[in-house]
Amino acid sequence: MATSGSKIKNAKLVLLGDVGTGKSSVVLRFVKGQFVEFQESTIGAAFFSQTLAVNDETVKFEIWDTAGQERYHSLAPMYYRGAAAAVIVYDITNPASFTRAKKWVQELQAQGNSNTVMALAGNKADMLEARKVSTEEAQTYAQENGLFFMETSAKTAINVNDIFYEIAKRLLVQAQPPPNPAGMILTDRSDQRSATSTSCCS
Amino acid sequence: MDSSSSSHLPEPNFYDFLRRMRSPASADLVRAIKSFIVSFSLHTIDAENDSRKLQDFLMAMETNIRKHPLWINCTDEERDTAVEGLEKYVMTKLFNRTFASSPGDAKSDMKISKKICLLQQFIKPDHLDVPKVLQNEASLLYAAKELQKINAFKAPREKLLCIMNCCRVINNLLLNVSLSTNHMPAGADDFLPTLIYVIIRANPPQLHSNLKFIQLFRWQSKLVSEVEYYLTNLLSAESFISNIDASSLSMDEIEFKKNMHPAATQVTLSESSCAVESQVCEPNSILESLGETVITRRSPDKGTQLEGNNYPFLDKEAENLSSEDVQSCLGYISKWCPGTRHYLKLFISLI
Repeated sequence: MATSGSKIKNAKLVLLGDVGTGKSSVVLRFVKGQFVEFQESTIGAAFFSQTLAVNDETVKFEIWDTAGQERYHSLAPMYYRGAAAAVIVYDITNPASFTRAKKWVQELQAQGNSNTVMALAGNKADMLEARKVSTEEAQTYAQENGLFFMETSAKTAINVNDIFYEIAKRLLVQAQPPPNPAGMILTDRSDQRSATSTSCCS
Repeated sequence: MDSSSSSHLPEPNFYDFLRRMRSPASADLVRAIKSFIVSFSLHTIDAENDSRKLQDFLMAMETNIRKHPLWINCTDEERDTAVEGLEKYVMTKLFNRTFASSPGDAKSDMKISKKICLLQQFIKPDHLDVPKVLQNEASLLYAAKELQKINAFKAPREKLLCIMNCCRVINNLLLNVSLSTNHMPAGADDFLPTLIYVIIRANPPQLHSNLKFIQLFRWQSKLVSEVEYYLTNLLSAESFISNIDASSLSMDEIEFKKNMHPAATQVTLSESSCAVESQVCEPNSILESLGETVITRRSPDKGTQLEGNNYPFLDKEAENLSSEDVQSCLGYISKWCPGTRHYLKLFISLI
């Protein structure tokens, strides 16, 4: 299905962010906006897939959305387990959503895989007059925590493709050094299986 | 959920699998399958171990089928169909051994079912953040009905299909609402609360055991991507419901405790009445308006789900029934289908 000579690498990407930050709108922009010939995309209500070509390689993102409400916060680990990438979204007009984003970053750093590529997205970048979180503040935070940062707008599409393109590039670079004879496995399923099974047996 | 998605479940033709297995050329495969099934009876029951054995077997058989003369010029889909058929055949044979086999399974099922039973009495969509626009009674009941079918199947793939169908109904509701109203598509912020609400409405039989069974015995190469995402949603919903408290519903502590106290509701928490109550408290008229004769059709599930199997006599031959089996079977028939005396007569004539 892919263009000849290139292999598709699957990458699980988890989407974290407070309610109302527009995280699914960002993804919808990305998924609907891409047009790659002969490539399929999935547009569901909460699961999306999209392929992205980077040079002569192709990354297939499998995007897992999570519920942003505080009451569902404790369920997030079930979703980000084994993710190759995480996009943490906040709303630049809502400081509380930025605080919440930082909480997720900490959590991912504490529990997640250190290889997970993390991106911080300040969404609603078109609403400049209502801005409450400065670019500098977020940029500094991102630098200190080893994330890459972009301000996006699902409305105007600013930086939306760029953030996914950058993640794809980083995933490919990360995957290159150790030559893996079994192919590229970006989603680690083995730890998930053992983890779920231990919880099953009471 | 797009039907063109690469992760959609194919519709394997089980009869094609059986037909190929009857061919003399597949005698080696049949031998391998039979000895695999027999090998299970030589070990003590251990869910983890059984799962590993099945997954290894499916993987080995996939390789065998790939180079087998019967499948030599086949497409990948046709080979997948063969492994799907194999999963269904083997797991149907091993169902009684592998389903809800751990000592804690029945207890967990009962615990969550009782909890849901109490929640059904007072929970409102708003407690879970289900937006008003999504409170579409017909769609939600339709989704619940898909989940309630789960015990009508033994194969992991078919059980998983019930889950996928339920999620598909919710998905369509979400997509339609975002197209027809000003409601912005909110992804999982809308999906998960709606799913949890649907699960509470449905109180699906043996929720814990069914999810565990799918996780352990569904062919791992197919438990990926979109399917894995929706199964994860079910698992996280199960976890949410098991740990539900006043704060997770933004409720007053005292009010929550009062509601969760069995005596405060009409529900008497004797083992069987809970499950019956859970089914009965649905507004039947709406289900009937969807063209379903729900009450008569679903009633056999009510009590029998507590015994661990919805249809305890489904795969029994008449000559294999013991006198106790006959007694209890007659009990079921007269209990659930009081008006079907001719079935009783037919049954008696068989023995």
